Amino acid sequence: MLYKLQRKTLIPSQIIGYALTLFVGMSVVMLAVQAFVDLKPLLTQQTDVFKAHTVTVSKNVTLFKTANKDGIYFTDKELRKIQEQEFVKDVALFNSATFNTSAAISFGGQRLGTEMFFESVPDRYIDVQSEDWRWDSTSDFLPIIIPEDYLNLYNFGFAESQSLPVISETMLSQVTFNIYVEGNGKRHVYNSRIVGLSSKINSILVPDAFLRWANSEFGKTNDNRCSRLLVEFTDATNEEIPSFFELNGLNINKSELESSKLAFFFKLAMFFVIAIALVIIVLSVSFIILSFNLIVQKNHDLFVNLYNIGYSERQIARFYRTVICCLTIVILLFSALVAVWVRGFYVGRLSMVFGTSLSVSTIWLSTLAAAIILPALYSFFIGRIVHRTVS
Amino acid sequence: MKICLTQWKLMNTMLIELHDLKPRYMSESEISGSDIYLQSSVLFEQGRSYMVCAKSGHGKSSLLNFIYGSNTQYDGTIDFKGLESYLDSTYMRTSVLSYLFQDLCLFSELTAMENVQLKNNLTHFKTDVEIGEMLDAILPADKKKQPVATLSLGQRQRVAAVRALCQPFKFILLDEPFSHLDNENAAAVAKMVSDEVRHQGAGMIVTALDPIDFLVFDKVMTL
Repeated sequence: MLYKLQRKTLIPSQIIGYALTLFVGMSVVMLAVQAFVDLKPLLTQQTDVFKAHTVTVSKNVTLFKTANKDGIYFTDKELRKIQEQEFVKDVALFNSATFNTSAAISFGGQRLGTEMFFESVPDRYIDVQSEDWRWDSTSDFLPIIIPEDYLNLYNFGFAESQSLPVISETMLSQVTFNIYVEGNGKRHVYNSRIVGLSSKINSILVPDAFLRWANSEFGKTNDNRCSRLLVEFTDATNEEIPSFFELNGLNINKSELESSKLAFFFKLAMFFVIAIALVIIVLSVSFIILSFNLIVQKNHDLFVNLYNIGYSERQIARFYRTVICCLTIVILLFSALVAVWVRGFYVGRLSMVFGTSLSVSTIWLSTLAAAIILPALYSFFIGRIVHRTVS
Repeated sequence: MKICLTQWKLMNTMLIELHDLKPRYMSESEISGSDIYLQSSVLFEQGRSYMVCAKSGHGKSSLLNFIYGSNTQYDGTIDFKGLESYLDSTYMRTSVLSYLFQDLCLFSELTAMENVQLKNNLTHFKTDVEIGEMLDAILPADKKKQPVATLSLGQRQRVAAVRALCQPFKFILLDEPFSHLDNENAAAVAKMVSDEVRHQGAGMIVTALDPIDFLVFDKVMTL
């Protein structure tokens, strides 16, 4: 009887309006949060490990500088000038080896060797996570990082055209070879292995501690000039950055800035999408509470009469609590299913392109959270409105 | 043994005691000479019937609303004695006090039968057959299945009277219960009410503009 009486007080258009807005809002939030969680590792790999706002800077090589090489080195004054810019957070130097090095590998009794060069950067700028990346003066092991581009050049260029097998990073890291270091009348042989590939630093890297020691041991002591810098920005999107480097005849690796920008814009876009979807949810929640207020206003006498003949506030509120909470949970489940379904599309594509395993779905977690928070909120408001009306 | 019996009777007899009661929205001059308002102690005893007579606007409905708890705009106190403990308004309205409202408080979209059932669903005091018989006794046969909106005011008042009897009560409050009824129908309703009151051993407080002949009262008061 109570059901028959209260059912007629519901306004279908308002219920449908609430259902639609909550559905849209929840689907977008769930999907956006999930996409953010899914894509974050990919963005992080591209930028964050190498510090989101770091670029490699070198001087432009001109015909004049080809003849007089001194022009490619940074002077102290130039370094200070870069450091003084307000958008620059930190400047790190590339250390170059000032001694002769060569690498050799014994292959079926034959010895293949090549002249080499080394550089080093402070460890915090290294974008390779490897336990072998350390140097110990008592050990003869010397880890090396080479640019990822070298491997790509071989796999996708050389091996492709010569019908040679492709080499994976794991395979490459298992090959050991010897490094010969000599200078100042001394000579030392190291066992070496490639411990990682850097996608950011286009150089052959050895640990900074080793190079500093080796330069003093084997190198020309007074020669510590630097031709490349790592510059870390406070804000990579600062518009003054490109013009400053261009005016000073400096080369920057713009793609680094681009990926930083990309990550920044991705985060910004996600932020806006989630913010707008949250606004939609807040509106839909306000809408249903307002609708219930309207129902109570419109049927004020009905509520008061029910209370007068002995129905408790809880009994009066029960129907509305049940309808609104059940509807909310159904909408949440429906939104979650749609979000999971849509996620299925991009997850498939992403794993095809990047081959990464994606984190566990947060959609069900957000559904559960919303399914607890929203009904509790509605229950509270409905109880309060009924109490205010009948007493 | 006699003492024990007296105590038992006292514990099971409910008293409504009013002290210095005064509606906040009425001046002292409006209620001067009242047998109830501003009296230091007015007692209503379960098992007895009271008639409260007054002209319009003298606070008859207010008095019953104060007792029922649906209006708290009063000074003074109302004590319920003989109840084991303080009970919430829902319990009071389904087990202690029954009220035939002056404005009836019916649900016009429900039928006469459904209106009574709505109350009875809370108390499960009567069966559907009993409700049907009670309605048949005071309404034309085809009316109980009609929406209340289509009934006359007198018929609605009879439906509200039947609804007021579908619960256990220690007191029944009747606010101008025969105001829309002719003598014949008023007598029928009065008989049904007084039979139920006697059956439950309850008290009765009836308000009216003029003295009522259909019911017998232990005490008549004026407001």
